[in-house]
Amino acid sequence: MPEDTAVEVRDARKVYGQGAGAVTALDGVSLGIRKSEFFTLLGPSGCGKTTLLKLIAGFESPTTGQILLHGSDITFDPPNLRPVNTVFQSYALFPHLSVADNIGFGLKMQGRPKSEISETVTRMLALVRLDAMADRKPGQLSGGQQQRVALARALAPSPKVLLLDEPLSALDLQLRKEMQIELKRLQIETGITFVFVTHDQEEALTMSDRIGVMQSGHLLQVGDPRTIYTRPANRFVASFIGESNFLTGTVDGNVFTLDAGPRMEVGQTDGAPATGKVTAAIRPEQIRITSATLGDGIPATVTQTVYFGTDTHCRVALADGTEITVRLQSPASGDVGLHPGSEVTLKFEPGALILLPKAA
Amino acid sequence: MSADPQVTAAARRGWWLSAPALVLLAVGATGPLLIMLVYSFLEPGQYGNVEWALSFKAWFNVVMQRDIFDGTLTFADAHLSIFWRSAKLALLTTLFAFLTGFPTAWFIATRSPGLRTALLFLITIPFWTNLLIRTFAINQIIRNEGFLNTFLLWTGIIDTPIVMLYTDFAVFIGMTYVYLPLMVLPLFAAIDRFDMRLLQAGYDLYASRWQLLRHVIVPVVKPGIISGSILVFIPALGAYVTPRILGGGRNMMIGNFIELQFGQGRNWPLGAALSVVLLVVVSLALIVYTRFATGSEGKSHG
Repeated sequence: MPEDTAVEVRDARKVYGQGAGAVTALDGVSLGIRKSEFFTLLGPSGCGKTTLLKLIAGFESPTTGQILLHGSDITFDPPNLRPVNTVFQSYALFPHLSVADNIGFGLKMQGRPKSEISETVTRMLALVRLDAMADRKPGQLSGGQQQRVALARALAPSPKVLLLDEPLSALDLQLRKEMQIELKRLQIETGITFVFVTHDQEEALTMSDRIGVMQSGHLLQVGDPRTIYTRPANRFVASFIGESNFLTGTVDGNVFTLDAGPRMEVGQTDGAPATGKVTAAIRPEQIRITSATLGDGIPATVTQTVYFGTDTHCRVALADGTEITVRLQSPASGDVGLHPGSEVTLKFEPGALILLPKAA
Repeated sequence: MSADPQVTAAARRGWWLSAPALVLLAVGATGPLLIMLVYSFLEPGQYGNVEWALSFKAWFNVVMQRDIFDGTLTFADAHLSIFWRSAKLALLTTLFAFLTGFPTAWFIATRSPGLRTALLFLITIPFWTNLLIRTFAINQIIRNEGFLNTFLLWTGIIDTPIVMLYTDFAVFIGMTYVYLPLMVLPLFAAIDRFDMRLLQAGYDLYASRWQLLRHVIVPVVKPGIISGSILVFIPALGAYVTPRILGGGRNMMIGNFIELQFGQGRNWPLGAALSVVLLVVVSLALIVYTRFATGSEGKSHG
């Protein structure tokens, strides 16, 4: 195991229930999370990301497999013996304790001296900018403030890993954006390994050092946000993170022939079969539209345009009827000059087309 | 929480609709207390009742007593020991009802909704039977030839019956049995509202099971503990039937002693004075207890 691994998950399986009613929440997940990185588990609800988080926190133990923390096996250690803390979706602040006592709870349970506790609490209050709220009860705070108390409470005992279970989902959009920046800042300032669980792809892309995309108990792809976005490993990743158009065709070496007719050169082909039928993905913003008469490219007909402010989404149909979306930056006038029925040609860089592995 | 002031004001204006109930409460609750207070300052009648003459003798007799033979004044230590026994038994009953009621309430509150309803129903069943009958049932179990002693003799654990009936222990057991539901129900209500996710949070923050109980569960469900304790302690302190049947004549509690003054004792003013003392003691105990138990939180939660 590499030196810089904070959490290692080895072939973890988690099955709830028995016999016919058994549900497999995690189906053989292996994962290494590096020290001091902001790692995000991203996936739709029910994909197993929260189960994986619970295995790391110790609220559940895997049916088979192992969890290692800084190299030592913690698979069956109870949560109170793991130097790992959680920020809960519901915050779960202690209603009978003041903000300061909530933050100091973990240290108090560890039996740290009073002077150390009050020192750390003061530092944490400053870190989450709640100095003025130390004596309030959680019930007297706004949602965003409660969120920050929950963060400070989990950070106060200096855990080796901080787990965050969709902590921003209860906040409104404006506050959520602020907290995203705040979380990233806290992670950099404290240098603690963050494992963040979310179903929000934008949250994952903006905050993470690396993302693990999950679906139906499987870890589909792990990589930095750019890799995940520009080189999705399969069709699910391509459609879950950002929008994608899917084109079917045949590949031969680095030449891709669309079912709709045109052939083109492709850049990246790793993971995809060298010959035969494949699916290729392309991002809506990677396609350019030119007027119909101009040379090579893919001929298409505009079916619909939708104005989104900064962007205009343009639905076009290829010769074989495949509908794809093109995202154009809206010009100053606001009108892209395209109307349903316009004959156009689609163009893109060879590298923009992503050939997906057969399995997906 | 701030209610709409206009709605509140409108609701207040309709207060006169409650007038019949308020009058009934005022007369029914304070009337008897006033009669007690007045009677405590009167002379005892020869065959019970009172003579309408101002006298402080009853109050004097609460703390002092005159020897019937030589007329010397001594401290009324019998009264004090009866008070002390009552307080001790009531406290023990409250404590034991809490120790057994808390796990019971926790168990019920953490069951499935259907089972929970059934269990709560079972808890209330004893209320359907007369207190006297239930107390006699306890009598049947713990008397020398009762079920418990018979069983213990049969198994050979003991060779002579353990004397339980007509002891403080019998009164304590009987009162715990009678008042336990009054502890379980408010505790259940409090535990039912308890957010179990707090346990996960506490467990995550290095608390052991014992620390969770002490630092999370007990403080959060404290309102339920306070109301349960009050509901058990007050009737236990003034208990009459249970000590009469299970304690016999020797192990009197204050309730029996007061009854004695109104019955065979034919000293109504002393009985009245003792009742007022009991009322004051209970009120003081309540004030001290709620202050102590709620601590600083009482202020913020109103």
